[in-house]
Amino acid sequence: MNVSSAVVRVRGLVKDHGQGQSRVRAVDAVDLEVPQGQMLAVMGPSGCGKSTLLHLLGGLERPTDGEAWLAGRRIDTLSERALARLRRRSVGFVFQAFHLVEELSAAENVELPVLLAGRSRREAGCRASLLLERVGLADRARHLPSQLSGGQRQRIAIARALANDPLVVLADEPTGNLDTAATLDVLRIFEALRSAGQTLVIVTHDERVAATADRLISMRDGMFVDDTRLAGSHTRGLGGLIGLEG
Amino acid sequence: MGSIVLVVRLALADMRRHKVQAAMLMLAVTVATATMALGLSLRDVSDALYEQTRAATAGPDVVALSGDTGPAVTSALASLTNEPGVMAHHGPYRIVYADLTTRDSLSSPVVVHGFAETPGAVNRPLVTSGRWVRSGGTVLERGFATALGVGVGDHVTIAGRSYPVVGIAVTAATSVYPGAAQIGPGGGPSDYSGLAWMTRSDARTLASSHDLPVTLAVDLKLRDPAATEPFIDAHSDPTVRITFHSWQFRAERDMAILRVSQPILLVGSWLLGFLAITGVASLASGRAVEQTRRAGLLKAVGATPGLIATVLLTEYLALALAGDALGLALARLTAPAIASPTASRIGDAAGPTGLAIAAATVLAVAVAVLSTLGPTLRALRTATVTALTATAHQPRHRPRLTALSALLPTPLLLGLRLTARRPGRAVLQACSTATTVIAIVALLTLYAQPERGYGLDGSSALPNLRGEHDRQLMLAVTILLIALAVVNTLTFTWTTAMEARANMAIARTLGATPGQISAGLSTAQLLPSLPGAVIGVPLGIGLLSLFAARNAVDPPSSWLLGAVLATLLATAALTALPARLAARRPVAQTLSAETA
Repeated sequence: MNVSSAVVRVRGLVKDHGQGQSRVRAVDAVDLEVPQGQMLAVMGPSGCGKSTLLHLLGGLERPTDGEAWLAGRRIDTLSERALARLRRRSVGFVFQAFHLVEELSAAENVELPVLLAGRSRREAGCRASLLLERVGLADRARHLPSQLSGGQRQRIAIARALANDPLVVLADEPTGNLDTAATLDVLRIFEALRSAGQTLVIVTHDERVAATADRLISMRDGMFVDDTRLAGSHTRGLGGLIGLEG
Repeated sequence: MGSIVLVVRLALADMRRHKVQAAMLMLAVTVATATMALGLSLRDVSDALYEQTRAATAGPDVVALSGDTGPAVTSALASLTNEPGVMAHHGPYRIVYADLTTRDSLSSPVVVHGFAETPGAVNRPLVTSGRWVRSGGTVLERGFATALGVGVGDHVTIAGRSYPVVGIAVTAATSVYPGAAQIGPGGGPSDYSGLAWMTRSDARTLASSHDLPVTLAVDLKLRDPAATEPFIDAHSDPTVRITFHSWQFRAERDMAILRVSQPILLVGSWLLGFLAITGVASLASGRAVEQTRRAGLLKAVGATPGLIATVLLTEYLALALAGDALGLALARLTAPAIASPTASRIGDAAGPTGLAIAAATVLAVAVAVLSTLGPTLRALRTATVTALTATAHQPRHRPRLTALSALLPTPLLLGLRLTARRPGRAVLQACSTATTVIAIVALLTLYAQPERGYGLDGSSALPNLRGEHDRQLMLAVTILLIALAVVNTLTFTWTTAMEARANMAIARTLGATPGQISAGLSTAQLLPSLPGAVIGVPLGIGLLSLFAARNAVDPPSSWLLGAVLATLLATAALTALPARLAARRPVAQTLSAETA
């Protein structure tokens, strides 16, 4: 793999939680490169370190040891402020629990990262309209999160993650709280993103979600135990692939 | 630009979502800043009203008074009018000491000034209703007339003779009612007296027909109004006893009626500010988990720590500053009435001074910052991932207290353990109760003071205005303090109930009844309230002793005991409602919500 084309790269990444005797190694000397446009799925049992890895890749947590780069820039040594700016421009997060601001409307939630990036309210509004259209929720722009279904909330969260055209979207169990139909909606969006060349890293328990990826990494006890190419999977019909359509 | 929009949007959205909290913060800051601004502005407002009255009535720069009469005194006073530093004068004129009775049988000492029917260049009383003196009629000073309830057209009896009241007027030449008698007969001390004007001949007739005490006075306008002290020093004559009152002295005397008002307002504003901080801090701590999650979310999408702090503080600061503006406006509106409890002065008081505005704004900002600092710091310090999944504060394990409480009846057991979960909140509840009791003790102490009324021989038919003014102010401050303390108690109980709902639901599954849960929540507030109420009594007495007169008396012990018991009963009653509401929540619903 060409190192220069890797959007995400980590070397010897270690993350320990706790101290002393209660210390637990969540991520254990992991090496990883994710090239531009790849959709990577990370699977593994609960507590194997998948989510921690995702947090480390996005600068939400600092590694105990090792190095991490995003688009060629080393991020494990950045200050909290610099990490925030990096996340703002280069990383889009999608969480299992959505994490939308409850008191803001759908459109306002999507506008949030655009405004954080210092762009005007008008630009933010235009960008939110475009993205809500893209995730099929243009007619829900004024709704509060509490007025939306789980699937709709997750689509809003995806739109928010894409607000500043991030280099990589990091999704942590994005379908974990969704029913089958909503899962299909979300996967269709991810499929469209991959087709558009968006780099995606998805942590999931769901094999059906993992099957849509270009590459699948399996984790156990903080380490990678398997790294498989799934080339061509996306050429099949998505619904058929994941058994959601007849 | 985008960040500003974002901060404003988040602050507004949060205010809309938490309207009650926003209203409470604003209300608390409004009353605290209004009280402080009033306290700090009293002197300036009083001075301004005196100045405006002085300007409107050509008030003298110096009034020379002699307790004696006779040619030597008249000559000495008249000679002052020829001094080179004197620009204009009025008098010498007679001041007659008499008694005045109204149709309603209100009686008061009165000093009657004998004036010309056409006022001169100096000391021209401003007639606010009716007309100036004419033969056979009298004009009453406005503060005096207001206290007597007398108007133009009424009749009053002065030294046994009836006079129609032809006018009501104000002057800056004497102190505000009841300080019209600047010296007593013979130059001695004076009683509380009102002021009336008559024509010179009527005043002379009045004095001579009843052999009433008379003194003489002359009003002087100086070339340099600021140079009153050198003038007085230069004209102190040991052979003739003359008392000089400068306009500065007169302005200072106007403050005498406000001697206790200022500390009531200032100390009251500190206590109100303290209660505002405790109440808002309790609400903020109740929302700490939510705020921390929100901060984590903002961090995840790229907000810097500085921006998050700005978002968290902006809402409170904006509300506090809005409350500050409201408080200052309220102080502006009420200042003339509070700074001039008599009707003896005229004019529109200027707004709060720069110092008062600055101090009130500092208080408002302090309320906002101190009450939100903890949750803000917590939100900033919590790692993003931890913040996103923030859960309620985990209390410390206290094995001894747990073992001790196990010996108690269920409500006490629950109450003690709930109190121990949040010791900081228990301290705030105790302080809140102590603050309320301090105010109640101060109020009771003011009501316990014996005082002379302004009627004849100290009759209370004409009540002591200063005492009434102090009690009314103290009552207002106490009501405000109690109102904030009530809101605080409700907030403390509700916040405790919400934080402990999972534990209370578990207690219900173990067999605790809703009544026991409700009683436990009430007990959790009562336990810290008890020491708070007890310590409030000596604190209140001690605080008041700093400002009270040396001969002030303490209120009876039964009053103080009653205050403590009433406070505790009121706390128990107030906590009952939120506690019952919280205890009625279905157990299954609570447990499933907590585990979702």
